[in-house]
Order: sequence, then structure tokens, then C-alpha cells
Amino acid sequence: MRREIVFGGATLVLSAVYYWLADRLPVSQLSDAIGPEGLPKIYALALAALSFILIIGAVADRRRAAQASESRAPLSRVAGVLLMGVAYIVLAPWIGYPVAIAALIAATTYYQGGAFTREAALVAVSGGVLFWLLFVVLMGIEQPAGIWR
Amino acid sequence: MALLLPFTYGMDPTVAVVLLAATYVGAEYGGSIPAILIRTPGTNAAAATVLDGYAMKQQGRAGEALGISLYSGFVGGIVGLVVLVLLTEPLSRVALAFTPPAYFALGVLGLSVIGSVSGGSLVKGLIAALLGLMIATIGTDPVTGTSRFTFGSPELLSGIPPILVMVGLFAIGELLAQTGEPGWEKASADSARIRFPGPAMWKRIARPQAIGSVMGTIEGVMPGGGGTISAFLAYNEARRWSSHPEEFGKGSPEGIAAPEAANNTVACTALIPMLSLGIPSSNSSAVLLGGFLIHGLVPGPMLFVRNPEVVTGLYWGLLVANIAMLILGYLIMTPCLWLVNRPKPYLMGFIYAFVVSGVYSIEGSLFHVGVALGFGALGYVMRYLKIPFLPMVLGVVLGFLVESNYRRALVLSSGDHSTFLRDPLAAGLLLVAVTFIVVTVVRHLRAGREATA
Repeated sequence: MRREIVFGGATLVLSAVYYWLADRLPVSQLSDAIGPEGLPKIYALALAALSFILIIGAVADRRRAAQASESRAPLSRVAGVLLMGVAYIVLAPWIGYPVAIAALIAATTYYQGGAFTREAALVAVSGGVLFWLLFVVLMGIEQPAGIWR
Repeated sequence: MALLLPFTYGMDPTVAVVLLAATYVGAEYGGSIPAILIRTPGTNAAAATVLDGYAMKQQGRAGEALGISLYSGFVGGIVGLVVLVLLTEPLSRVALAFTPPAYFALGVLGLSVIGSVSGGSLVKGLIAALLGLMIATIGTDPVTGTSRFTFGSPELLSGIPPILVMVGLFAIGELLAQTGEPGWEKASADSARIRFPGPAMWKRIARPQAIGSVMGTIEGVMPGGGGTISAFLAYNEARRWSSHPEEFGKGSPEGIAAPEAANNTVACTALIPMLSLGIPSSNSSAVLLGGFLIHGLVPGPMLFVRNPEVVTGLYWGLLVANIAMLILGYLIMTPCLWLVNRPKPYLMGFIYAFVVSGVYSIEGSLFHVGVALGFGALGYVMRYLKIPFLPMVLGVVLGFLVESNYRRALVLSSGDHSTFLRDPLAAGLLLVAVTFIVVTVVRHLRAGREATA
């Protein structure tokens, strides 16, 4: 239940920030009766109300089932996978698509528990070539060129 | 399907839509393979198949179970296709009568299914839908042209494409959820030689197939129905009408035929509200809707007027897909087993590479890759908190339709809200939406009361 309280708190903060941003939208001379901020403000208020209901419900459930244990997700591992994606975004324009995608395959494979072996390296390089052939050569879809420009 | 979505960008629209729909059809059968062989349903809809499919496998009848599943899926798919062709066109004939108030009401009707696709928590479903509606407000305002919530970023001026939300939530979210999970159980190639049912078995499974097809038709047409519900309903009804109810759960062929016919019928009938009204009623039809959108095709009333060739192509494609499923389902079992038995780390690496390459292909934007990763993280959190995805996707897809037509209708009526009740189509759709909302809320309240009793 604690995670629902945290989530409800996060959506409550989000609704406040979203309302504040909607309130700061510039007024247009062409504006209609509702205006660009009209529905966003309604959404923000509705989200705030639902967040309260979620938090109150979670607190009540917590009292009822205080002993209930919650499984913990491997957040650090998930963050690691996301960081690899971010590294791809940063590096692909520099090192180019085939190398970046091979590196992404190699890193993900290793991170998911694969061994750092000659076979794994071969699979990653083959994957890089395969994806380059599939997307760039066969389908004609441009990918970040990098040093291969 | 979500993985394939960006991959279809460079294709002809009809080919792309048929590819996605055929994948949907194939996945409904494919989901039964791991359900029978390793007691793990490949799709939610295949969960009912586990009960008797795995029991038959334990009795050394895996080939027979796979054959019944394939044959029943084919029968269900063909029935669903006939219903799709017969019902979609008449439903879309109201197309030309749509005005801004009616489009607004249509959007509200689409959003009214949120309650029935929210799983156990209506509040969580509504929060997800509101987050989707908020995402849909990012970009240029539909009436005044003011940029909203873009933080000065030119990439956000045209809004966040729904496809990025779908790929992030479904594909990347699943990839993240698999991180840290133990490896999948291996399937034995020896136990997977398909054996088609003979005449005696055909006769025995004809009734459960008919029950499954009827359930699939009813649930598919209803917004929020879906393959999982229809599969379990069909399983229960097949047991009720069976002359061997005691065999159910212990390896009954009828217990495979009914749910498999049902979920393959739904694969076609779930497209009826999506094609005719633009309302996705399941995760898979939402992803298919994304396939339409990235090719500039707007499912809904005008699709039949502007792009009839895509609709016809989709019908023929689904027919070919169902026939191909019967043939390829038999032929490619061995290579499929080889593929799923590869070490999980390699599969994860290739899936990740496929997703980022596909997302970049949509508009050649690494910014979009970052946005999809962000929604992947959100998808992981939503899985963790058991928050349903479909309400958020509905909010993203229908948000612009609702807001733009609501405000256009008010501009045309000089701010008079009674315009939504004076338009007969809008009033009718709003009435259906309100009825749907009331029924759903009552059902949730009753379920909550029963849970606390």
C-alpha cells in the first residue's frame, strides 16, 4: 500500500504543477470561451481529486493489512537498462548506427546475465551488421550515420 | 505487435496494417503454444488454454493439444472475420452524419469504457486516463494555435505521437519488467509435433468451437470485452454444455477448443469498434490503431470514405492470415521453438536494439527514442503499481478528438452547451456513454462491497 501512497502523492504534485503551467499559458486574441487552459485545468483538478481518493483508500487499506509484505522490484537493474538506452541516444550520432547498436546488444546481453565471451561479442557484432542491413540497406530507413557519414 | 509498430513506418499503409493485424491473429494462436508446452500463456487470452492444454501435455498428448488449438483458432478466426465484414460497414454508414458535437460524443463514448478496462481499481484506471488526456494536451492548441506544455522544445510542438506512448508502455515497459526475472523454461522440441484432430474429434469439439465463436463475437464487439474474458466465458460455457464435464481441467480437448475459438474470434471482432468508430477496445487493437495513425489513416467514420482500399485490403489480409496460420502454424513450430529457446540475455539485447531502431525510424529523431524510453519507465512503474495501460492509451488517442471537437462545437454554437443535446447523434452517443459509465460504476461499487463483506 505504501507504493500507492507514493504514487498518489506524485500524481497530486503533478496535478498542481500541471495546473500552474496551464494557468500561465498566454491568452490569445483568437481564444474561444474555453481557451487553451480550460480543459487542462479541469484535468488537473480531477487528477488531484482522484489522487486524494487513492491516498485515502491506500491509508485505510494499510491500517487493515499492516502486516502485508510488498515485493520489491529491482529498480537499480531497471535503471541500468534505461541508462543503456540513454547512452545509445548520446553515442549513436558520434559512433554511428552499426557500432552503437552492436554495443547496445553487447551491453544488454552482459547486463542480463550473459557472459563476456568471444561468442557474445560475435553475436553483438553480427546483430549490428544484421540491423544495419535490415533497416538501412534493405528498407532504406536512415539511422544515425556518425563516423560512417 | 508493439515491437513491429515502428518497423511498419516505411511500408505501404495497407501492407503495414495487414502485417499488424496478421501478427495479432497469429499471436492469438501463438499464445497457446507456451501455454500447452511450458504452462506459461504467451498472451493473456491463452490463460484458459493452460488448464487443459498443459494437462494433455503431461499425458503425452501435446501434439494433439496443439493441433486442436490450431484448428479451433482457425475456425474462430474465420467466424470472426465474417462477423467483422458483415457488421463494420453498416456501423460506419453513419459516417457522414458526424458533426463536431457528435465527434465529441464519440470521444466521450470511447473514454466511457475506461471503467471496464481498469481491472480491479476504477480510481487507478481514471488516473491513467487523465494522465493520457494530459499527455494529449502537449503541443499546439487545436483552436488558438498556442503552444502548450512544450517548454520551448520544437520537437514537442506537434505533440507526443501516440505510437511513442504505446511502444514505451507495452514494448520497453515489458523489457524492463523482464529485467531481473528468471529465464524462461525451455520447451522440448520432441513434444511439439502437431497432430490435427480426426473426424471423431472434429465432431466432439464442434460444439465448444461454436460456443467460443459466439462468446468471441459478443465480447469482441463490446468495448472493453477482449480475448481473455471471452476465453474464460467460453471455457465455462463449454463445460456447462459438455457431455464430459468431469474431464475439464484434466486434459479435455473441449477445454482447449472453446477458449481458442473464442480468442481467435475476438482477434477479428475487436476490430469492429476500432475500424468503425475509432475506439480501441483492447491493448492489441490500440496498437493496431497506432499502425493506422503513423500512416496518416484515421480509423473511424471517415476511413471507409477516404481509404476504402485499406479496409478491403485488411479484410483480405485477415483471410490470408487465418489460412496461413493453419499452414505455417504447422510448419514453423520447430524454428519457433529454436528461437524461444535462445538464451534470454541475447533475446533481450536484440529486442532492445529492435525497439530503439524502430522508434528512430518513425521520424529520424533520437528525441523520440528518449521519449519512448521515458514512457517505458512509466510503463514499468505502472506494471509495478498494477495501473492499467489501456485507459492511458485511450486518453492519449482520444484526448485531441474530445478537446478539439468540444471547443469547435461551442464556437459554432456561441458557447451554448445544449448543442450536444440538440444533435440527435451526439445525444444518442452521450446517452450510451452515460449508461455505460453508470453500469460500470455500479458494478465496481458492488464488487468492492462484496470484497469487504
